[in-house]
Amino acid sequence: MKKLLLPFALVVTMAYSGEQFAMSDADKAMYEEMLENNPADIYVESGGELFEELGGEEALIKFLGTTEKELPKYIAGFPRYIKKLGNVVGIDQVLQAMQVEQGKKATKLKSEDMFSMLAYVKSLANDEQFTIDITADKHIKASYALGKKTFDTPRGGRGLSCLSCHSKDIVGMILRTQPLPDLGEAGAGATWPAYRMTKSSLRSIQRRFQGCMNNALLKVIPIGSKEMVGLEVYISTLAQEKKKAIAIPGLKR
Amino acid sequence: MYKKMTRITCIAVFLSASTLLNATDLTKAYSMPDASKMIEKDLLKPAQKFTMPKECVSTDKDSLARGEYIFHNLNGKKAKATPPTGLAKFIEKKDKNGKVVKKPKQYGNCVACHNIEDAKGGGNIGPDLSNYKTIFMDTKVRDNAFVYQKIADARIDVPNTHMTINLTTGLFNEQEICDLTSYIVSEKK
Ligand code: HEC
Ligand code: HEC
Repeated sequence: MKKLLLPFALVVTMAYSGEQFAMSDADKAMYEEMLENNPADIYVESGGELFEELGGEEALIKFLGTTEKELPKYIAGFPRYIKKLGNVVGIDQVLQAMQVEQGKKATKLKSEDMFSMLAYVKSLANDEQFTIDITADKHIKASYALGKKTFDTPRGGRGLSCLSCHSKDIVGMILRTQPLPDLGEAGAGATWPAYRMTKSSLRSIQRRFQGCMNNALLKVIPIGSKEMVGLEVYISTLAQEKKKAIAIPGLKR
Repeated sequence: MYKKMTRITCIAVFLSASTLLNATDLTKAYSMPDASKMIEKDLLKPAQKFTMPKECVSTDKDSLARGEYIFHNLNGKKAKATPPTGLAKFIEKKDKNGKVVKKPKQYGNCVACHNIEDAKGGGNIGPDLSNYKTIFMDTKVRDNAFVYQKIADARIDVPNTHMTINLTTGLFNEQEICDLTSYIVSEKK
């Protein structure tokens, strides 16, 4: 039934839109294709294929020393301290370490392949709430503190901090036609990697942080640095406090 | 029996060898670039009190035009209209290797947070600066020096301000702060 309805609905909308916006045949073809393949899903799918090359879930479970049953909750606890890596790390850095352990070349943190793989692995925790425990050990405690400090520290050409635009007292106010989001309520931590329509690509949350830094003239710091991982811990706990479930891939303006 | 034994030993040896391999140091097996020095260099200096230069605020046509342009635009790459006399679209800067590179000149983008006369898509994080002359200057609620200091470094009277810091950061020079001040306090048509 559903299968039959969809093309019918499509024909109707196309007929209508035809009156307002003349669509070329090429545009029509693209439109049909977009309907069938949400752009974000293509990335996540290819991320899944790359992850399979590393041995998939089985290899990840072994690497992390967890169980199949516990894996989603374990993933929902990232960024977290991984003893054999010696740091609080993101899922992307775990994937790099797995690659190196298998004698493969580590995929760059700031690359489409890595964003896709990261999205796939994080999506294994979809519908879970974050399980980050910032009191679990001294490492995660320090990472959270560094993240919060990085968030609160004014710097750059305009002397702004993340807090300048993301503090509680100005949520919903308008910055150049854009309402300022409450990062917890928006579930930012739980909805990246996301497909960013204005950038026509799938991006990780640390890449999103870089976007804000760039726009506000803060020196853009590299993905994977202690400060970036700390920022991700901090922003993820904001979603955790609001009990936002993980929903990857997100779709953003 | 003997044969079986060797097989087991073989497997045992193989297993322990592979665990040894697996036990390779993974603490360097992923990237974690250093950002602390970048942040250190980028930090905002403490709040600074400035003295407004003499003849700073004027009704000079070019100064007002520059103030208006800086107020309404983000940078030379994004700005569409030609900048007024005395204001560049691009500036030359030395990169870290000492090579001279062209960079878009940064402007104020004050409309992102403030409404004012003829603002397009003005924000509301900062107060509305429309009719500033009538409401704040003619009534002597504010004076030129206050506006100058506010734009230069707003922290002097609002320590945790959401406003951008424009002179302490070196984003603008004194003349540009004067241009902005002149524009805000001027009578708009
Ligand atoms: C000058 C203002 C400003 C500054 C400074 C700023 N942001 Fe933002 N940020 C915004 C605006 C506006 C949006 C919403 C943009 C949109 O709708 O796409 C946003 C969106 C975001 C989002 C996406 C939220 C979502 O919907 O998922 C994240 C995450 C974020 N900011 C983090 C940061 C971090 C971290 C910093 C500091 C490094 C920072 N921001 C600094 C203005 C700012
Ligand atoms: C990110 C938001 C933001 C931006 C960008 C911004 N402002 Fe503000 N501005 C504020 C806020 C918030 C206040 C009120 C708090 C304060 O006085 O520090 C303010 C206050 C002011 C005042 C004082 C008004 C009064 O009489 O009390 C002036 C003047 C002003 N801004 C001018 C500017 C100019 C010029 C620019 C651009 C160079 C600018 N602002 C950019 C947020 C902003």
